[in-house]
Amino acid sequence: MLGGSSRDARRTERYLDGLMDAEERGAAEAPMDLDLDPAVLYAARELRAGLVRVHPSFRFEEGLAARLAQAARATQGTSSEQPAQVFGSSIAPFRSPHAAAPAGPAARSGRTTARDALATLGAPRRLSLTSRPSRPLVVGGVGVASAAISIGAVYVAWRWSRASQTPMVRAARAARFGRAYAPGHGRRAAVLHGILGVMS
Amino acid sequence: MFSNSEERARPARLDRDRGLVDAARHDPACFDALYRKYLAQVYSYAFYELRDHHAAEDATERVFMQALTGLPRFEERADSFADVRGAQKAADEIPADASTFRIWLFRIARNVVSNERRRDRRRPVASLEHATGLAAADDTFETAAAREAGSAAWQAVARLPEDRRRAVVLRFVDEMSTAEIAEVMGRSEGAIRVLLHRALRSVAADLRARLS
Repeated sequence: MLGGSSRDARRTERYLDGLMDAEERGAAEAPMDLDLDPAVLYAARELRAGLVRVHPSFRFEEGLAARLAQAARATQGTSSEQPAQVFGSSIAPFRSPHAAAPAGPAARSGRTTARDALATLGAPRRLSLTSRPSRPLVVGGVGVASAAISIGAVYVAWRWSRASQTPMVRAARAARFGRAYAPGHGRRAAVLHGILGVMS
Repeated sequence: MFSNSEERARPARLDRDRGLVDAARHDPACFDALYRKYLAQVYSYAFYELRDHHAAEDATERVFMQALTGLPRFEERADSFADVRGAQKAADEIPADASTFRIWLFRIARNVVSNERRRDRRRPVASLEHATGLAAADDTFETAAAREAGSAAWQAVARLPEDRRRAVVLRFVDEMSTAEIAEVMGRSEGAIRVLLHRALRSVAADLRARLS
């Protein structure tokens, strides 16, 4: 059972809800409980008309928007520990000796907050000339293909320069030379010429 | 009476700002949309609480900077309205336009404004316009603010105790529901309902006394 005060408070709440809904709908009047306290009704209407939402100046709005954008960029752009995203691919970061520095809670959770980013900006890291970052090794299809082509070229050169010991191979090679250097003859004549050359 | 499994299966209402919040979490540059959406509400709240537009601007800036910084820690709570009263509330009773992000943002605003007021009490600072009694010639806001501050309604509200005034501003200026105000102020919904009812009666008595 609600007490009198709670019941009146609920009536007031219902009227205020109706008042705001009516304004949203563009209705002239809000539904009203006949038992509603007239003083509450009067005050609600006065406050609804008198308490307006105020907007800051355009200059302030745009200035704060720029400062927020700057903070957002700092949040995004200064994390050197995470791979940079470039056109959908990822670049492996160079590891530095500073990478082993104790990480904050945000870094441990894998996220960088604006505070961390601003702290990074405020305290730039010192680069040591004696420390050599280990470079990432490029291993992929281009390197393998290049190595295969080189091995193939060496093998062909070796086979070409090596003199064959068998008579049949010498005959075939002579026939090819004969075709190359005697374009007026047919293929069969060149082969015969080669065989005869070998036999002689 | 729902069993535990039925309660778990009940669809939860989603934050109406979920899309914007997710986008801002993924790309902080998208926070601009949330900023533009709630700027006037946060600024109005700060202005009515602090009654000085310079202080309101400072507070507004702090609120949004803290929100941007703390966004990764923001957790959407679909059943947050039930938590305040310690009882489970039917999903149908939860306001359809509820936003836990807005509640979270206004909690930040409440803390920022409270700190600002505490600092002002320790070290009172008056703006130059107030000290000289002159408004800048090109400051149309000052003119509008003076007109608003001079209104009878606002003066009646300004005389209310702090918690009543805060509830009235959140209800009439920021158009929050009773449940949302309860979340922002950390009070029960029933307490806010009674607070608003008494505030309206006080304002009515003040306005009538002024008229007579």
